[in-house]
Amino acid sequence: MDTPKSLKVALIGNPNTGKTSLFNQLTGLTQKVGNYPGVTVDKKQGACKLSNNRTAIITDLPGTYSINPTSVDESIVLTSLLNTADKDFPDVIVVVADVENLKRNLFLFSQVKDLEIPIVLAINMSDQMKKKGITIDVDTLKKELQTEVVLISARKSIGIDEVKNAIENCAEAANTHPLCSINHKIDGDYFKNLKEVSPNHTLYELWLMITQNNFPDSITKEEKIKLLEFTQDVSKVRRYQHKETIHRYQQINEILKRTYIVDRSKANDTRAKLDKVFTHRIFGYVIFFGVLILIFQSIFDWSTIPMDYIDAQFANLSEFVTKQMNTGVLRDLITDGIIPGVGGVIIFIPQIAILFLFVAILEETGYMSRIVFLMDKIMRRYGMSGKSVIPLISGTACAIPAVMATRTISGWKERLITILVTPFTTCSARLPVYAILISLVIPDKKLFGYFSLQGFTLLSLYALGFATAIISAFLLHKIVKVKRTSFFVAEMPNYKIPSIKNVAFDVVEKTKAFVFGAGKIILAISIILWFLASNGPESYKNAEKSVIENVANKNLSAEEIQDKIASLKLEKSYIGIMGKTIEPVIKPLGYDWKIGIALISSFAAREVFVGTLATIYSVESDDENVSTIKERMRAEVNSETGEKTFSLAVGMSLLIFYAFAMQCMGTLAVVKRETKTWKWPIAQLVGMGALAYIASFITFTIFS
Amino acid sequence: MQQIIVYIILAAAIYFLAKKFIFKSKKKDSSCGSGCGKCE
Repeated sequence: MDTPKSLKVALIGNPNTGKTSLFNQLTGLTQKVGNYPGVTVDKKQGACKLSNNRTAIITDLPGTYSINPTSVDESIVLTSLLNTADKDFPDVIVVVADVENLKRNLFLFSQVKDLEIPIVLAINMSDQMKKKGITIDVDTLKKELQTEVVLISARKSIGIDEVKNAIENCAEAANTHPLCSINHKIDGDYFKNLKEVSPNHTLYELWLMITQNNFPDSITKEEKIKLLEFTQDVSKVRRYQHKETIHRYQQINEILKRTYIVDRSKANDTRAKLDKVFTHRIFGYVIFFGVLILIFQSIFDWSTIPMDYIDAQFANLSEFVTKQMNTGVLRDLITDGIIPGVGGVIIFIPQIAILFLFVAILEETGYMSRIVFLMDKIMRRYGMSGKSVIPLISGTACAIPAVMATRTISGWKERLITILVTPFTTCSARLPVYAILISLVIPDKKLFGYFSLQGFTLLSLYALGFATAIISAFLLHKIVKVKRTSFFVAEMPNYKIPSIKNVAFDVVEKTKAFVFGAGKIILAISIILWFLASNGPESYKNAEKSVIENVANKNLSAEEIQDKIASLKLEKSYIGIMGKTIEPVIKPLGYDWKIGIALISSFAAREVFVGTLATIYSVESDDENVSTIKERMRAEVNSETGEKTFSLAVGMSLLIFYAFAMQCMGTLAVVKRETKTWKWPIAQLVGMGALAYIASFITFTIFS
Repeated sequence: MQQIIVYIILAAAIYFLAKKFIFKSKKKDSSCGSGCGKCE
């Protein structure tokens, strides 16, 4: 991708300025585009073709309000801009600004400009200017900022070519004048001495090194010692930082006075009116609850037909393979192991796609940010940061990126609490487990003639997960003392009609990630499970003989004897032995040894639960008429009680178990990585496991 | 023959899971941050 002619370009901007949208436009990559604050937490790169066969390698840096970092992801920006010796150090920087919040956006611009790197200012959402009554004198702004300024609308593909041209012009001109000369206005002698420390670095780079305690590789040992001397007088450094901020805003105000006019009388936006309703202290929550009901109703109502279709197709496929292939172990592996296991993942595509569709629409429209704002008030009461809402909400997709999203939280204790409680929020991997259990044990009835009881149960489980996360955070807050609370800056983006392209990309990418990510693991586990269920020690091999020779079975029909043999074989198989070993531990929760096997295998990933049961019941079943997963589970009878295995009590107990248990190896690995110790993931595993066990036991006792 | 194919498939499944959860391959770029935990 990197050619000798290629330019290295970094995209920098405040959160929600459309930086990622511009990145998509420039690179054509399918990146996530949304209004969700803090969406970009990782470094993303892509190639962009400029004119004359020139290529630019674009890096999308995390959204930040300044280059004085307060969180892990913001510090990435500072490190990228200071490390001039780095191979990815940018030749040109594109600062993306939001036309409505230009003043605040120019603060970051002024800092970057003072680093004396060629810079382009792309003012995004320019298509909204007329509606907002905004006028910009671009030519004067260019002169004042001594910078290439381009008006763009990344969502509407306006001004993208101009950005490309500006990047090239800027690289060629190599115009690197600083904007705010901090030395003159603050303390001339102090900054003169600072500049003399290293002739190879700009004054502002050196100033950032001492204020942010961030020393790049390009600084020599001697220079670092000299720089550290400047940090001795902490109060002086802080005072000068304050002066710097004031000075920057004064200069920005002066420039905007001449170039940026907002005439509210000409504005005709409905944003303010909508915000009043959506963030209202009563109506805001009522609407949010209504939206949640709509989502969970739709997950069940819309998905029934495609799910039944997929389920039937897999049953047909099994039947087809059974008829086409010769009898043998390979046929058994395919029909009893692979097809039911994979079918257990594919069947949930409609429900997962619907969930992601709604989440993408909420992000795209700008409503998600209003939810974050609403929930911030609740979060603070329970010792979390307002920014904790982001991981908690993203946790509904997957806890792994959600735990990583805690990097935006500046206070370590708040971040740790958020990391520890995030896995309680209902992730998409729980959805298949919930969906199958709810459809088995909760009647398909309508509440008040309209609301589906099954949908309501699903909503309650999501609410339970969220409530448990909040309560746990409150308890952890009391145990782990938070020394410092961070401030919450969440931008309220404009309301927008969702872009079909962005929503479609989002749904397809996330669903694909689920199917291929989980699917490969489930397929592998299904194969191993099938082997363990189809093989065993001597007692397994003698199962058929012992059933036939048993006097008590003499009067049974041939079909009944076959069922007995299949059942005994499974019990005596390797997997049966494993299940039987753990049965005493899980029996108080209402589970038999077959469910026990599913609990063990789903420790890798929760969604494996359904595939495991599908494989076990397929191996056990000798029925020539291949039935669907749901039918097999519904027909399963507990050999000891003679009652249905998936009774209301067992189903509810399992739902509660999966709501609380830390059944995800991936999340544990990420928690270890983010906390740099095994202490916290182990505490999470044990704590959540104990809670799940106790809560499931209570649930089973109540419903029995 | 079927038996041999089954054993090959089984070995591939065990290898895949072991690679995924036990012997994780290290990524070259530690700043990737994909969340897979392989960068440690």
